[in-house]
Amino acid sequence: MLIKVRTRNEVKSSEITPEAVYGSRRKFIGQSSAAVVVGAAAAPALALPTGWVEEQGFKEGEPIGEKITPEEYAIRYNNFYEFGTGKDDPFRKAKQMTTDPWTIEIGGQVAKPGKVAIEDLLKGVGLEERIYRLRCVEAWSMVIPWIGVPIKAILDKYEPLGSAKYVKFTTLYRPSEMPGIRSVFSSVEFPYVEGLRLDEAYHPLAIFAVGMYGKILPNQNGAPFRLVVPWKYGFKSIKSIVKIELTERQPRTTWNRSAPHEYGFYANVNPKVNHPRWSQAKERRLPATLFGSKIDTLMFNGYDEVASLYEGMNLKRKY
Amino acid sequence: MATQESARPGPRFAWLATRTAKWSVGILIAIPFLLILNDVRIELVSPGTGLGPDPGEELVERLGDWSIRFLYLTLLVSSAARLLKIPVLVQHRRTVGLWAFFYIVLHLAAYFSALAGFDFNVLLADFEKRPYITFGICGLALLIPLAITSTRGWQRRLKANWKRLHRIVYIAAILALVHLWMQEKASYFDTFLYGSILGLLFVERIVDALMKMRRRSVRAARESKTDSRQGETE
Repeated sequence: MLIKVRTRNEVKSSEITPEAVYGSRRKFIGQSSAAVVVGAAAAPALALPTGWVEEQGFKEGEPIGEKITPEEYAIRYNNFYEFGTGKDDPFRKAKQMTTDPWTIEIGGQVAKPGKVAIEDLLKGVGLEERIYRLRCVEAWSMVIPWIGVPIKAILDKYEPLGSAKYVKFTTLYRPSEMPGIRSVFSSVEFPYVEGLRLDEAYHPLAIFAVGMYGKILPNQNGAPFRLVVPWKYGFKSIKSIVKIELTERQPRTTWNRSAPHEYGFYANVNPKVNHPRWSQAKERRLPATLFGSKIDTLMFNGYDEVASLYEGMNLKRKY
Repeated sequence: MATQESARPGPRFAWLATRTAKWSVGILIAIPFLLILNDVRIELVSPGTGLGPDPGEELVERLGDWSIRFLYLTLLVSSAARLLKIPVLVQHRRTVGLWAFFYIVLHLAAYFSALAGFDFNVLLADFEKRPYITFGICGLALLIPLAITSTRGWQRRLKANWKRLHRIVYIAAILALVHLWMQEKASYFDTFLYGSILGLLFVERIVDALMKMRRRSVRAARESKTDSRQGETE
């Protein structure tokens, strides 16, 4: 296994480039050039400039022997209800989300709580690429090359206390830029909240992602900072995080509050526990063909190494 | 004589007008289906382009959307004929209703083929375990006798019972709404939209029935008044 380690720049271009020049190169990834031209005047700034990931460098991920989902699908087929419930709503509407400045508040059961700008939070961290299966609770899946850091590497900086048992994450709540929040028909409460048990968060597979496909995250995929927990259903991997709290008690998470019989706190991928409205035994690997066959869903989405986290637990009840 | 004839269209002219109207409606009504058909064709030729990354789900959803639209449009035809006082509109109700039935059959067929993988056991399990599918399939089953008896021959044969039988469509319309509502995950917009439409269609029917009742009682009152007056003179 050949692992290529790219050189990491000591000084970011944002620190040596004049503001105006720096701002002018802030473009969005994955949009057509026409969209960039149209949106140029109103284009919000990015916390992590285009090219940041490439400049920073990252340890390339190991191939998993499964075909990576083409980028065009991963950035155009999303669930990010703050921008609407349609699969292409996030692609069309998340552009208006301003990610610069982006501060993350870290609090709760930690010795060093505080607010930190994303640039400072990521200063000096070693980025790694992780090629993970993403299994959505809606029975479709993709394979995505994320770029990020293990959660533990970030949390340790704030010195979690012994009393901390869970981690609660909160997504940005900004109605002016998020049409889905403004919708009077929404049955989901915002801001979006997710959570993990601390030992789950500390598992080396769980990461905070800042990029995908070798570039910074597009807004619709949760820019600039999101969770990726590959053995759980996609909705656990909360997007555009602004708040991290370590708690003693299990946080009340958004989907669990909205429909507790359908979405549990754990939400581990489990082919034996069906969603009340559909079977979870199989999944459609996207892009799928119209009458193509589905593939079997694996326990923990195939990440058996996390099984020890749940020893002695009845996963049919703690779904 | 000649001027009178030109003022009122002759039978041949009326026939042509009816035909033209039927053909235009027929073509117009087929457009969404043809668009879906074209996307399916594109999807089969080059996967991922016609119906997107999750084509099965997309096809089932699109057919479902048009199912409920046409089902409610069928009910709207009668209301529109009454409200706009254009009774000939009712001529097109059968066409719209049969299209609704066609979409619902295709909707289920797409679910069975693309999502249930042609597996009857999956369908049966879904019918048993998942209420929204139970309601959906029941709605479709209720519409089968209506589709069969939609012909003029059956209309004649069943006489007054035909109207009674075809009131089943209201149950199907409610089941369709429940089927939609049970699948709403995060937004009740569609349920609100179609629920409001169905609500208005029901209101129109209730108002119409009440007005008919009033007219009937007024007429009865007038008749009884003339009766009593007749009694007085006698």
